[in-house]
Amino acid sequence: MMSPKRYLVWFLSVVTLAIAALVAFNAFADYYILHDRNGPSIQTVSGFERVLKPAWIDSIEPSLVFVGSSRMREGFDPVLIDPTFHVNSFDYGVSSITAYEARRFTQDALGHPSVKTIVMALDAFTGNGEAQKIGPGFDELRLTVTADGKPTPRRPLWIFTTRYLSGGAAGMHALGLYMLLQLGPGQTASDRPDLFNAYSHMTTNIFRRDLTNRDERVLRMGPWQHQQFEATLGALCHRGDVRTILFFPPDNYAMIDRYLHNDRKDFIAFKETVLADVERHNATCEGKVALFDFLNHNAITDDVLKNGRSADYIDLIHFRPPVGMRLLRRMLGNGGKDSHLGVELTGPSTTLLSGQKPD
Amino acid sequence: MPFNSYPYIVFILAVVLAFLLLERRFPWAKRAFLLLISYAFYAWWRADFVLLLVGSTIVNYAIGGEITRRHSLLKSVRELLLAGLIFNLGLIGLFKYAGLFVASADGLLGLSYPIPHLFLPLAISFFTFEQISYLVDAAEGKAQRYSFLDYALFVSYFPHLIAGPIVRYNDLIPQFSQSRTPVERDNDLSLGVTLFTIGLAKKTLIADNLAPFADVVFTAAHQGMALSTTDAWLGTLFFAFQIYFDFSAYTDMALGSSCMLGIRLPFNFNSPYKSESIIEFWRRWHISLSTFLRDYLYFKLGGNRKGAPRRYANLMITMLLGGLWHGANWTFMIWGGLHGFYLIVNHIWRNLWANADLKLPPILKSLAHPASVFLTFAATTVAWVVFRSEDFPSAMLMLRGLCGEGGRSSLITFSPLAAVALIALFAIVWFAPNSMEMTWSYRPALDPPIGTSNVRQIRRLRWQPSRGTAVAFGLVCIAAVLALSNLSPFIYFQF
Repeated sequence: MMSPKRYLVWFLSVVTLAIAALVAFNAFADYYILHDRNGPSIQTVSGFERVLKPAWIDSIEPSLVFVGSSRMREGFDPVLIDPTFHVNSFDYGVSSITAYEARRFTQDALGHPSVKTIVMALDAFTGNGEAQKIGPGFDELRLTVTADGKPTPRRPLWIFTTRYLSGGAAGMHALGLYMLLQLGPGQTASDRPDLFNAYSHMTTNIFRRDLTNRDERVLRMGPWQHQQFEATLGALCHRGDVRTILFFPPDNYAMIDRYLHNDRKDFIAFKETVLADVERHNATCEGKVALFDFLNHNAITDDVLKNGRSADYIDLIHFRPPVGMRLLRRMLGNGGKDSHLGVELTGPSTTLLSGQKPD
Repeated sequence: MPFNSYPYIVFILAVVLAFLLLERRFPWAKRAFLLLISYAFYAWWRADFVLLLVGSTIVNYAIGGEITRRHSLLKSVRELLLAGLIFNLGLIGLFKYAGLFVASADGLLGLSYPIPHLFLPLAISFFTFEQISYLVDAAEGKAQRYSFLDYALFVSYFPHLIAGPIVRYNDLIPQFSQSRTPVERDNDLSLGVTLFTIGLAKKTLIADNLAPFADVVFTAAHQGMALSTTDAWLGTLFFAFQIYFDFSAYTDMALGSSCMLGIRLPFNFNSPYKSESIIEFWRRWHISLSTFLRDYLYFKLGGNRKGAPRRYANLMITMLLGGLWHGANWTFMIWGGLHGFYLIVNHIWRNLWANADLKLPPILKSLAHPASVFLTFAATTVAWVVFRSEDFPSAMLMLRGLCGEGGRSSLITFSPLAAVALIALFAIVWFAPNSMEMTWSYRPALDPPIGTSNVRQIRRLRWQPSRGTAVAFGLVCIAAVLALSNLSPFIYFQF
């Protein structure tokens, strides 16, 4: 038992000290991650990405942004991309992204004047219904604009509190800092697949397990997802200053085979709907959209395991960052040996929407 | 400004510090300061609607004053009271219910009147009800005449403004002028921060973590998805716990904020899931609303003074309107109707039981309490389904899922973690002492109104200022603040 006054002093001291320690740690870790040579590889890590990425994009001021699910998060590492393409890229991929989040992250990217190119994987717009409208940790107050395109009120305050006072930021910062400090001198994320999952390789066991786990999976665009996709295109319509590239991501063909087997009709309808929307968009809008299809038989999806491990995949749907580089080369038009990878649906190529092998 | 936000934490700290300074140096300025700060608090949400709040306050104060004057001259006040009621109910009807009524009329009668989409002013249900109570009491000669400053502060006092507790002018206004000794002030501050911390932790660490699971199931039902029994039950249970912790969190934070300023708000929440009947549930859940409805609606309709059938009709009317008060959706009215039905059954059962004069064997007697608590929990939980559902068809889908006649959805996995979480939640709501019981020796709220449940005296887990509790609550506060980054509004904010 103590006097209420002393209780108050103790209580406030504990709270103040803990908050000061938290802010100091977050500020240090944030600075370290953003300035370390390998720091951008942390963008490929799963954790509290919805919490911190809206703050990081502010600091990084990228010219190229990748929006999408964990396929994007794992598949595009700015550490590889930036020196090769002479860009300042940002990986806005988040786990289990929903159609609504994909639309909102695109709007957020468009709200940053530095952004000149947006690359987005279309699996974000699949699913059925809006039951999972947002993922845990998603808070729209952190984004540059509201859902109807108006600037978010008091955003600097939300970004500050998110970055320095939230548990999500503390967790992601701690994880990021730990991973970076584990890298030896001269090492990059690709040297430590044990730490950076994006660089790990699918093994025979993973292949089998994944095929079992995802046996009933379908790729279908529900009406609500479609509505969100149209809203995303709507946000891009008057942005002639931003180049947008959409693509059907290269899931391993074993997976594509499951989609076709489980629900062939909706799989094809998904692609046809996107294509029709993009064509309509390009006919009327200032900001043009390029559409690529890698969700078919191609040099990536036909990957076979050599000596029990895959060169291109982490599992059946997540491709590795070197594949992301190949996709990017193809989509940006300097594909070299990958010039014929996949199909450019908005280009002159023949469309192979079914994803099946041509006869 | 939601209580569970960083700006509010900064706001309350600044307000308390400034208030302490004023209290010591310029006590005459305390009320004006609180009034200005309350308007600023409301303006954070929408500055233009402060005008509505001020306008409503001025009109009600003027009508109330005239009613009091006429009453003292033994003149009729009926017309003025009627005018006041029309003004207040018109305001709430226009902003809150016009859209629902026009849409329903369009649907039922095949009309095509344009549906008004008016912006719902925050807290309108609360400040309207509080002012109605003032007018009714004035008409009955019970209300004292207060200064405009006191009256305006009673209406807008920020800790209760947004989502209650619904306060009575005569409970609050006398406290505005009271001074406190340094010891009382220190007690108030330490109690206030503790209550606020408990509330914040309930909100950010419990309620907000349950919300996504409940939301996913109810949203799926809204889209017409046939739910599996597991999904329906888990979604329903998670919502039952979410609203429990959400509302009790809000109440603790409101009471805690007010305590720091030396003002006690009404006792509002007393472990409702421990109730062994629906009658008791309403003496423990949102006590300030249920006593308001009892005093200003049920009693005015005649209460139980005109025979059993009339009593049951009055109960049903009170609960239907109480349900509709929660929002412009018929599901709220159905929820109220369900509770009205439960209450009627409860009263009939009580009468039958009392008349039968049965003696239970000891074994059945010992089982009666847990069985009654469980049955009450089940009944209120089923009613929550209708409360939370977007519309009647989705409520039916949920209920069908609960009965095992739904589909094969698998939105939530009944994992070991979910099982442990549910067991822990049941243990808390059924067996743990609540924040009022823990802190009651320091009087964190006004005494429970007559006819509601009393505060249980506890021996263990009673809060006392000590180094250990200061550190423990400090750490809980930090954990709650860390979880603040996902701003999720209180459920009762929408009402």
